[in-house]
Amino acid sequence: MWGWWRFGKWTVLIMFLHIIAILIFTKGFLLTRTELPHSSHCSDLSQSPCHSSPSSSSCWTKPAVDRLIIIVLDALRFDFVAPSSFFEEKQPWMDKLKVLQRMASENPSSAKIFKAIADPPTTSLQRLKGLTTGALPTFIDVGNSFGAPAIVEDNFISQLIQNGKRVVMMGDDTWTQLFPNHFNKSYPYPSFNVKDLNTVDNGCIEHLLPSLYQQDWDVLIAHFLGVDHAGHIHGVDSTLMIEKLEQYNAVLEKVIKELQNQSGPGKLHENSLLLVMGDHGQTLNGDHGGGSPEEVETSIFAMSFKDLPSLPSEFDSSSCEVDLSFPHSFNICWRLLGGIEIFFLLGCCCVPLLITVEKEKEKSLNTLTLEKTLTPSKNICISSIPQVDFAVTVSSLLGVPFPFGSIGRVNPELYALAVCTWNLDDDKTWNNQDQTKLEEWLQNYANVLCINSWQVKRYIDVYSASSVIGFSSEDLFRISDLYSKADENWSYTKNLSSYKNGSSNTSLPVLKRQIVAYSNFLSYVAELARSKWTEFNLKMMGTGIGIMLLSLYCHTLAIKKLNKSYGVSLLSSRDSGISFGLMLTFFMVLIRAGSLLSNSYILKEGKAANFLLATTGIMTLRYSFMKNKMLIEVSAAIFLLLTFIFRIAIEVGLFKQAATSQFMSSSSSWMLGISISQSLWTYMAEIMPILALIVLGYFLYKSISSCYWGIPKYVIMGTILCYFLVALHWISESNILDLAHFLKGFGKNCIPRTVYAITLVQLSLLAIVPMFCKEETSNCRGSLFVKMMSILSACSSTIIILQGKQGALVALGSLLAGYCMMRLQGIEQHTVSGTAGISILDPLPVLQWSLLAVCLLFASGHWCAFDGLRYGAAFVGFDEFILIPQAILLTIDTFGFSHILSVFGLPLFVAFPSSFNQTEHKSLFPIKLFWIFMVYGLITAITATATILCVTIQRRHLMVWGLFAPKFVFDVVGLILTDLLIFVASIYYFNGLEDRIGNAELRRLW
Amino acid sequence: MKEELEKNPQSTISSSQVFFIHVCCGLALAAGFWVAHHVYSLNLVFDPTKTLCLIWAIEFPVVILLFSCCRQKPEKCSYFTAIARGLLGLPVGALLNALGALALGAPVGLQYLEKTVNWSLLMSSFTFVPTACVYGSSWTDWHRIFACTKPNGPLEFMLCLPAHGAVIGAWFGAWPMPLDWERPWQDWPICVSYGAMAGYVVGMVGSFGLALKMHAGRKQLKAE
Repeated sequence: MWGWWRFGKWTVLIMFLHIIAILIFTKGFLLTRTELPHSSHCSDLSQSPCHSSPSSSSCWTKPAVDRLIIIVLDALRFDFVAPSSFFEEKQPWMDKLKVLQRMASENPSSAKIFKAIADPPTTSLQRLKGLTTGALPTFIDVGNSFGAPAIVEDNFISQLIQNGKRVVMMGDDTWTQLFPNHFNKSYPYPSFNVKDLNTVDNGCIEHLLPSLYQQDWDVLIAHFLGVDHAGHIHGVDSTLMIEKLEQYNAVLEKVIKELQNQSGPGKLHENSLLLVMGDHGQTLNGDHGGGSPEEVETSIFAMSFKDLPSLPSEFDSSSCEVDLSFPHSFNICWRLLGGIEIFFLLGCCCVPLLITVEKEKEKSLNTLTLEKTLTPSKNICISSIPQVDFAVTVSSLLGVPFPFGSIGRVNPELYALAVCTWNLDDDKTWNNQDQTKLEEWLQNYANVLCINSWQVKRYIDVYSASSVIGFSSEDLFRISDLYSKADENWSYTKNLSSYKNGSSNTSLPVLKRQIVAYSNFLSYVAELARSKWTEFNLKMMGTGIGIMLLSLYCHTLAIKKLNKSYGVSLLSSRDSGISFGLMLTFFMVLIRAGSLLSNSYILKEGKAANFLLATTGIMTLRYSFMKNKMLIEVSAAIFLLLTFIFRIAIEVGLFKQAATSQFMSSSSSWMLGISISQSLWTYMAEIMPILALIVLGYFLYKSISSCYWGIPKYVIMGTILCYFLVALHWISESNILDLAHFLKGFGKNCIPRTVYAITLVQLSLLAIVPMFCKEETSNCRGSLFVKMMSILSACSSTIIILQGKQGALVALGSLLAGYCMMRLQGIEQHTVSGTAGISILDPLPVLQWSLLAVCLLFASGHWCAFDGLRYGAAFVGFDEFILIPQAILLTIDTFGFSHILSVFGLPLFVAFPSSFNQTEHKSLFPIKLFWIFMVYGLITAITATATILCVTIQRRHLMVWGLFAPKFVFDVVGLILTDLLIFVASIYYFNGLEDRIGNAELRRLW
Repeated sequence: MKEELEKNPQSTISSSQVFFIHVCCGLALAAGFWVAHHVYSLNLVFDPTKTLCLIWAIEFPVVILLFSCCRQKPEKCSYFTAIARGLLGLPVGALLNALGALALGAPVGLQYLEKTVNWSLLMSSFTFVPTACVYGSSWTDWHRIFACTKPNGPLEFMLCLPAHGAVIGAWFGAWPMPLDWERPWQDWPICVSYGAMAGYVVGMVGSFGLALKMHAGRKQLKAE
């Protein structure tokens, strides 16, 4: 053990450094928010200080709208909707949705265009989640939504269902993924074919207009995808995009016309609200996902079809008064928020448009600021609304409880539009009647805000009580301070309002102050939540990277030390210059590290790794030609052939990935071209894995035939038994041979569990037995080889059964590849080594081995994303969900070939009982083994460090959450696992080695 | 020119001859592009199969004719034998290049077959054909030039450098392929062909430079 410590302290140190670095970096990078399973209920309101609504039928707020039509136009840029006069320059894609602009300018009291600010990541799924839950998106929503994207948090749609509303959905099938059982009727259309501009839209149009006449729904959602797809394929400035927008204009025109026709008293849409909105924007190239203004700015158009009494004309004109002395500028004025007159001055909070655009994001944080920009030509006033406000505002309009985790605020203007269309913008001409109306409205709104604040406060309290990473106590203190202040006022305001006939002169300012207090509280919470959940902590990330680099330094230091002791004890005058292999390795690692900077290379990482692997393969082939070794040339050629086969497997995996990934359009159509008769194909697919298992078993049997040592023989026999069981398992699953009834007595879980049990027994045998009985074998290499074979075989049976049928093929492939590499390594030993037959330390085979490991990960049908995990593997041998064993099974399945077998297989390069020479110094043997472990660890660590660096550089990238972050998680987990496995493997292999070599000799070396 | 070249065996190939051969090869490449573009109005991006076919069809006769003049042991091997060797070398080299490309990740499939074939024929006329013309099936020479990369003399550099340049250029040319720029030239084998041609040209320039340098060195030696 002491001898091991001389080597092993480095692994411990490096593992320690890695864990620290990764923990610190992750804390700064991965924004985590715990998903709470709670949901709001009608009865909860009794705990709040607010008025419950007077009528018993309603829930939290008095329903203001009976029916709601939500038309989502995916990737709707703000400038698609807003009039072109808002922008410096008119572009061809502007002013195409004319009907919305016309409505907004003709009836400003019932129709309005809002600029909606989304929170990145601006991808449809995340946005729909954010829109319906009213919460902020984060990378890991820790909860039980493991795998399936269905929303488990409380949300607007499930509140609708709970409160007896009927929801109809049509269009993008993302909705049905998110809400699998929520809709009364749904007409989903597949959304992943980006090149298809029309299927979803035509389906929507087909169902939308007839649905408007039906009575069987309360909320209708129609999600159009054409604009998003047109943007992805052709960009914003394209004729297809303009055609799409014109098509939408026609559809919306029809919809609005129908709704208007039906809006009379007693008719279907007497009290309906139409919302036309985007889920996010897009850049001019049609990309979205990131946080640039173009992507986060989208639009909401709201129109109410209440039969409204027409308002006096002075209300209209005064709101958007135009100063004609500045012909091309907008009437601009600017008021600070928080003033008493806020509601009378909403229309005047204007700043120069450019500044508005630039500061838009900051301002949307201070959601109290309601800017308006006025056009000289049409009286369209546009205010902005953060998307988190959507869920709570719509909930309050429909009178359902607000989603539990929402942190939004009921938006006054959107609320006003439907509740009681009150022209808020006038501060000069209002008579008594209007004032009473206004007061009533304010009273109502203050009550809604009270409920809103109470709900947000409750969420913050529950969240900080139940979450590990909560808010700091200072923040919590400030929150409760703001809340209690607002609440204090409220008890006074409530009392005041109970005297209905009290002087309105006093009640108005009090109400306004109350509203401001609540708004302050809500905006503070939203701001805090954004900083906690959506902002990176650069200091921590930097520290993490620093420690990571330090660990790399330690790693190289350790390797240098090993090199030195190797070279010193060699006492040969071997030139210590930089060999070609070292340079090539360095170059390859550099390329691989650099490739992680680009999302495309991460997406096709398997292929990139295979490319590098094949390149090294070609180099070795060339090298073997140089050496004129016939046998070795053959193994190099076989190796290349294997990389080709792995590549095919990787492409099959990519094909699978493309079906689910949102970033990849499905390519590689060549596989569909294979038209071998179906039955033969399935027959092959059934037979091949079993054949592979038989071949594997035969190899194992051969490998122990010359072995006299006790334990490994039993272990390998056990593995062969396992293979037999696995083959039996597959046969019983398949329907070629009708064996199922033979095995009915067993039950289908029996075989996998037996295999797990055998594996455990084998591993414990291997771990425990060498401690007690020491075998004396003179041949170091031979015994190491046997040790390696026994542990690999012990691990392999479990991995193969978890991986399913492909597992056997991949295992066979990796075995062959390993054998070829060993032979190729042999030439180095044989030829380059000098007098004593000592192999030089060449990192190239280790690099090849690590590239092969990466290829194996992808070839076995995995990829670095959470949908790349094979969840089915967790249920091999288990029927019901038990977290810990299944997490272990999933880890073994994911990292089985690429990490567990690879690390345990590393002694391959020294352990092969080569016929070449036995003369090598025994004492050098552990050093070389250790050196290989260290180099392998270093390559993994460099790749992981590169991933961390690239993730940091690309933290504002479009696909940071979709691609870079999952890759980061995979790499980091892989790195720690590799460290751990190297630690375990070095103990396993060194235990016994040192006895043979003798501690004294080892001590001499150091 | 032909006679002049034939008289000069490997050891005494002059830098002007190197220059002449390289310029001819380069001009043939350019001519291939020119014909494709102006006569057939083809483009590598829009119709890679036909364009590549046209380019190698123009390039490879030039290569065969020129390099056959530099054949080794002209007394044992006639000019036409050398041409026949080159013609034989073309499909063999194409096969090797295609296998290499497939191992590295060229797409497999019937719709890519034509492109791969034409690309590998072009690659073969860059890499394999010249050496086949000059050395035929002499294993030791092939071994020296390609496995050990130890060419000596301007002629061997003339064979070795452009061939390596083309292969390395093609290797680098494959790098933009997985990027998501969605440009038409990212398809197989367009950017790889561009890379190969660029590498070939660089290799030719390098070999000419080396030939000049060696020539100067020899002159110096003689002067001394």
